[in-house]
Amino acid sequence: MLESRPMMTVNADDLTGLLIEWGQGDKAALDRLTPLVYDEIRRIAHRYVQREREGQTLQTTALVNEAYLRLAGSANIAWQNRAHFYAVTAQVMRRILIDHARRRQYVKHGGETERVPFEVAISEVGLMSQPRAAELLALDEALEELARLDSRKSRVVELRYFGGLSLEETAKVLEVSPMTVRRDWRAAKAWLYKAVKSE
Amino acid sequence: MTPEQWQKVEAVLQEAIDRPPQDRASFLDAACAGDRQLLAEATSLINAYNEAGDFIEQPAISQDAHILVGSDIADKIGHEIGPYTIVKRLGGGGMGEVYLAQDARLDRLVALKILPAYFASDDARLRRFQREAKAVSALNHPNILTIYEVGEAAGIRYIATEFIDGATIRQLVAKQELSLDEILDTAEQICSALVAAHVAGIVHRDIKPENIMRRADGLVKILDFGIAKLMEPETPGYQGEAQPGNGTHTEAGLLLGTTGYMSPEQARGLPVDERTDIWSLGVVVYEMLAQRLPFAGATRMDTIVAILHRDPAPLSEVAGDQYNVSPLLEQTINRCLRKEMTDRLGSANELLGELRRVREQLNNETYLTGSAVKLSRPEAHAVSKPAARSLPRRYSGPLLVLVMVLVAAIAGSILYRRSETAEPASAALSAGAATATSGKLYSQMNEAEQLDFVDQQEQRISMMMGDRPVKLNGEAVRVIKSYVDRYADRDRASADLGSASINDVYARARPYVPLIARSFAARKVPIIIGIYLPVVESAYRNCYENTIGAKGLFQFLPQTADHYGVARQDMCDVEKMTPAAAHYIADSMAELGEDSQSMTLVLLSYNRGAESVRNNLRQLRDAENYERNFWTLFAHRDELDDAFRNEGAHYVPSFFAAAIIGENPQNFGLPQPPLSRLAE
Repeated sequence: MLESRPMMTVNADDLTGLLIEWGQGDKAALDRLTPLVYDEIRRIAHRYVQREREGQTLQTTALVNEAYLRLAGSANIAWQNRAHFYAVTAQVMRRILIDHARRRQYVKHGGETERVPFEVAISEVGLMSQPRAAELLALDEALEELARLDSRKSRVVELRYFGGLSLEETAKVLEVSPMTVRRDWRAAKAWLYKAVKSE
Repeated sequence: MTPEQWQKVEAVLQEAIDRPPQDRASFLDAACAGDRQLLAEATSLINAYNEAGDFIEQPAISQDAHILVGSDIADKIGHEIGPYTIVKRLGGGGMGEVYLAQDARLDRLVALKILPAYFASDDARLRRFQREAKAVSALNHPNILTIYEVGEAAGIRYIATEFIDGATIRQLVAKQELSLDEILDTAEQICSALVAAHVAGIVHRDIKPENIMRRADGLVKILDFGIAKLMEPETPGYQGEAQPGNGTHTEAGLLLGTTGYMSPEQARGLPVDERTDIWSLGVVVYEMLAQRLPFAGATRMDTIVAILHRDPAPLSEVAGDQYNVSPLLEQTINRCLRKEMTDRLGSANELLGELRRVREQLNNETYLTGSAVKLSRPEAHAVSKPAARSLPRRYSGPLLVLVMVLVAAIAGSILYRRSETAEPASAALSAGAATATSGKLYSQMNEAEQLDFVDQQEQRISMMMGDRPVKLNGEAVRVIKSYVDRYADRDRASADLGSASINDVYARARPYVPLIARSFAARKVPIIIGIYLPVVESAYRNCYENTIGAKGLFQFLPQTADHYGVARQDMCDVEKMTPAAAHYIADSMAELGEDSQSMTLVLLSYNRGAESVRNNLRQLRDAENYERNFWTLFAHRDELDDAFRNEGAHYVPSFFAAAIIGENPQNFGLPQPPLSRLAE
């Protein structure tokens, strides 16, 4: 089973170091973090699907936490690192889903007249429904625009929607009060909803 | 909007939200006094806020976990899904990503298809698919991809199938490398798979070039039986008149890119039956010949209109220059492409017959020197020199063997017809025939029934060979059965059995049977041996491949060939080898004297020489239950020499297995009649 596969070869120091570098604004650190996180995200998704099938609801945060512990290998880690990890996870999650949605859209537009992309459709993006892909792409675009106007709101949405964090966790990661997050969230939601619907 | 403007808007928005809904409008009017743009912006945001409901309230993972699960498993090379270890991504194939994987339990390679979440989460639908997949697999048809397992591990649904190392017809069509004969051969193989599936009540529904693979050795496999159905939307409307091209179809992903192969009834959303597959196969053959689809349009709707209302351009006009499309071929394809199901060729079997006629006609025209001679029964002419020479080269090897063996067989059968066993033999023969025609597929029998079937058929074939009926012990029956299973499984490419499917082997053997029959009759050797020796020996490799001569065909060493008057360079000449093989077998019979009444010994002697057989018999003379036949040798094989154990002990069971299949093709889903019948 999947659990028996080789453990990932990253040590806690590497991860912590990367998280810190990324937290300090080093974009290259994110590139190195991404593959590690990417793999964990799929594991999270597996667990999610599994539990869902067993009829249990699941807090995404619990899984992300678990992933972090697996990667970092110890519970004894600075909260700040964990917060960075949440943020990375949310970002990577967003990136994966948007990539999927893009490929799905590509197939939709190119797939009918040239038959070759059908193979692409099948092999890569057969999983996402077309309306869902369209919705995600519109949301992503609106988030970009929102980031330009109000970057914290865009981060709140990223952490909550893509990272699965609760209000409180989001507040911790962003080092603001939960009330601020709540207000950011409702304004962002209204703004995004309007932007997505007017597409 | 600038960040500053947004700050203003947001401030108003937040304050408005904090008020009760009924107060918000008046608050906005007051707060935005004079600023129309601000008012409009804030109002539309309040409205959005009221409408948004649970928009983005559930994290993305709750909707898209399946995608994350299924995505980029290519990164997982070396990782495990259930009992499978991913080796590499294959990519091509039907619905879902396909990987080459190693099955740790059985140490074999499989193709692992990861199912899209669309239906992976629909248990009832998946179970139905599983049932159908099993039914198709149970056909054990060489031209149908075998499904090993439908399973799930860690939330991933997968289908494990046999792994085919070949190209899809889509790739082959693009390369334009197929000859007319190969195209027809491909069509015949597809058709023969459809015959078996349709008999079992299974319609493919998605025959298209991407779903058909052809190996380098010419074996064709249909992929994804049952998957199309799995992908169909299950709306009630689907049963009745649905709107063509409505969103549901597209959403299911099924028709994306496959519109061109849809039958009119599929395009209209009507119920389909096996005639849908006939249509689609017609489209595929048309495309292989013309490099274009018979029905195509700029858009999906245009294509559907063409499918429903237009006639395709005449094949003879659009076919590639290298393909000489005969009127019969054109007519056959047209009969696949009739809009009304009732006007179409009614069954795959009928189509198969037509395709064979086309091919026979083509072979005659291409190869017969006097093309004025038109033969309605080509077999009848196989004996004549031009006809035999005319056979495509790749057939000449196998043919050879075939021929020779046949010769031996006939003579024997004639010889023994005079013997006292003749009466019981023919009685058993007809009894056997009756059993065989009861028609249950071998693969659908349980093991006890299979053993029983093998036992009965062994006796029947023994008697056709002129043997006294010998009741075999359980072990011998099981051994024969294991060879039957391997033949039936032959497409799974076990190297020592050769790579051609059993269906191919028999189909190729067919035209040579009359030639073999004649030669073997002349030497009074049972024809049944003649027919099946080559099947046994045949990897059906080209005769010239082996430096020691026709090994794998009639297994003549060059010196043996020389002794029987066949020059080395003629060892692949069927007409010369057939009588020589018959002669050789007749000599073995003479040498074995009384023992030759057990034709299984003659069979063995063909492979090992009569002298060696005699030595083995001598060794066992004092053994318990000693009888002078192969099965005694077999039962005591541990006491015999390595030569016997290594080769002889496999040879005869293998022969019986080949004969059991070839004499009971209907039990194995093969389309041809029993080979011995062709010799009559």
